[in-house]
Amino acid sequence: MKWVKRGKVFNPSEHVLPLASIGFAQSPQALVLDDRVRVYFSTRERDATGKYLSHAAFVDFDRQMNRILGVNSEPVIALGGLGCFDEHGIFPFHVFDDGDRVLAYTTGWNRKVSVSADAAIGLGISHDRGLTFQRHGAGPVMAAALNEPFLVGDAFVMKAEGSYQMWYIFGQRWVRRDDGDAPDRVYKIAHAVSADGIEWRRDGRTIVADRLNADECQALPTVIRLDGAYHMYFCYREAHGFRSQSAAAYRIGYARSTDLVSWLRDDDNAGIDVADEGWDSQMQCYPHVFECDGQVYMLYNGNEFGRHGFGLAVLDR
Amino acid sequence: MLTWEKLGRIFDPATSRTRSWMHAYAQSPSAVVLDDRVRVFFCSRPPPSPDGMYLSYLAYIDLDRRDLRKVVGVCREPLMPLGAQGTFDEFGTNPVSVIQDGEQLRAYYAGWTRCESVPINGAIGVAVSDDGGDTFRRLGPGPVISYSPDEPFMMGSPRIRRVGGRWVLWYVSGKAWLRKAGGKPEPVYKVRMATSDDGLDWRKEGRDLIEDRLGEDECQACPDVLFHRDRFHMFFCYRNSHNYKVREGGYRIGYASSADMRHWTRRDEIAGMHVSTDGWDSEMVNYPHVFTVDGACYMLYQGNGMGRTGLGLARLSAPVDWSLR
Repeated sequence: MKWVKRGKVFNPSEHVLPLASIGFAQSPQALVLDDRVRVYFSTRERDATGKYLSHAAFVDFDRQMNRILGVNSEPVIALGGLGCFDEHGIFPFHVFDDGDRVLAYTTGWNRKVSVSADAAIGLGISHDRGLTFQRHGAGPVMAAALNEPFLVGDAFVMKAEGSYQMWYIFGQRWVRRDDGDAPDRVYKIAHAVSADGIEWRRDGRTIVADRLNADECQALPTVIRLDGAYHMYFCYREAHGFRSQSAAAYRIGYARSTDLVSWLRDDDNAGIDVADEGWDSQMQCYPHVFECDGQVYMLYNGNEFGRHGFGLAVLDR
Repeated sequence: MLTWEKLGRIFDPATSRTRSWMHAYAQSPSAVVLDDRVRVFFCSRPPPSPDGMYLSYLAYIDLDRRDLRKVVGVCREPLMPLGAQGTFDEFGTNPVSVIQDGEQLRAYYAGWTRCESVPINGAIGVAVSDDGGDTFRRLGPGPVISYSPDEPFMMGSPRIRRVGGRWVLWYVSGKAWLRKAGGKPEPVYKVRMATSDDGLDWRKEGRDLIEDRLGEDECQACPDVLFHRDRFHMFFCYRNSHNYKVREGGYRIGYASSADMRHWTRRDEIAGMHVSTDGWDSEMVNYPHVFTVDGACYMLYQGNGMGRTGLGLARLSAPVDWSLR
């Protein structure tokens, strides 16, 4: 695999974004429409306590991904009510084109006391080609389970082998580097299957081998079928120091499968890496791979988890 | 109407010799009948933290099978530690329901976690004991009954049964958090059920089972079910969502019956268990558990302050017409 970077293609500070956005365009994810490519992302506001709330928004590109057609200025889905799993933010916002409807798999965040937050996966349904989404119930479709105790999120859905397939992450443990440090989370990529996109079956098994160490954090899987094999991109980092130290920060990883069950991790062939300088020189994260008009694209975030926008790369085939 | 002969309060945690963790509260009684004893599992609490927040641990007392009013043993240690940091049961394991499963005991319990915008959230976990209930170990770090589209939060009050070879769980699910001026938000929850072949992988019924009597903000808890004379009988408790810590608004015990365990007819007037005019159960009666032993039918229940001062026992007066149609 080899990716040709087109650079940063969206800078949130150049547009009017929903609510009192203070920047961030995180986890870009594409919905290919007849006349455009709609790219959803999460942007942030601060609440009265100074903490962040993430909201889903979108920007439309032409089908060659060269030109911005417009940015929506309203959130596409409201946050959850008091005590709900998505009361304090929706990030990421993953869309799946399901024919006459668009399904959105949201990662909803709620704040906790002994740890910073928990997360679960919700479902929104759109009947207007992704302009607005109605939530499927007040609760999540994928929450903590017997062997997935917390932090269930980052869903990516596709149809394959006659079923809906989901790749997602779940938290395994909270770990402290030193006594007195705030706890950091460890999460891994897993897989679920569904007949209807709503009720999912899963087994609590991790599917991507660690490369760094047992506390490696793996996030945001995205899968595409090319040339008879399934290709997964994701991001991974160290459990500690990942915000301030580039060496510990997110990088893009890669794995390959022919049966959707066993995955061979092969980061050396990911074909994309941090730049020597510039907007994606400190980290690369939240990859999203999609196909449009014969081209395969990767949307992704760079430094500071996408505070200053997202970029685009094209697969050199 | 059923007639219960109250046998009095049988256990007050203030008499415990291990008050560092069993300081007050004996909640959610659940009985397992043994050869010479009836082991009653319940939930008890150490003193609250300075900000008024509680933990809750699993515990038991043993009752003399020949005279259930006699406590012949009290556990010394919590039966299971609380969950790890960030897990659903980090701050409490309460309520609990225990059932014999071959050589093992199996406990279904609600885990407590603490949140920023609301005080707590709950989900239902499972643990097993290989030593007759002296200690329990989790089957996994997460819950088996968690949040879903129409059960968004506050899963609690599990009551586990075996029916025709399947596992059946009656429990409650949160419907809403009500904002209360100057106070903490208060949850509203309703009785639900789920079925399972292995007790781990559950299919939720997805429906409120018991119609409201106090309006849509009625809270329902502890749906305790027994099968007798071709019918299912449910004892549960219900209260207002506000002002429920005093006699007027406090928990009462309700009753419903069903032929198929899924569709229920509520007839509270049959329950027959009322608050006393004074004493430890004069403000509320709640968290009923009904069981039979040696030909007699008993109800364990908690009294004032949601069980703060202990557990009581009552015996069903004969004869009883269990058809109750």
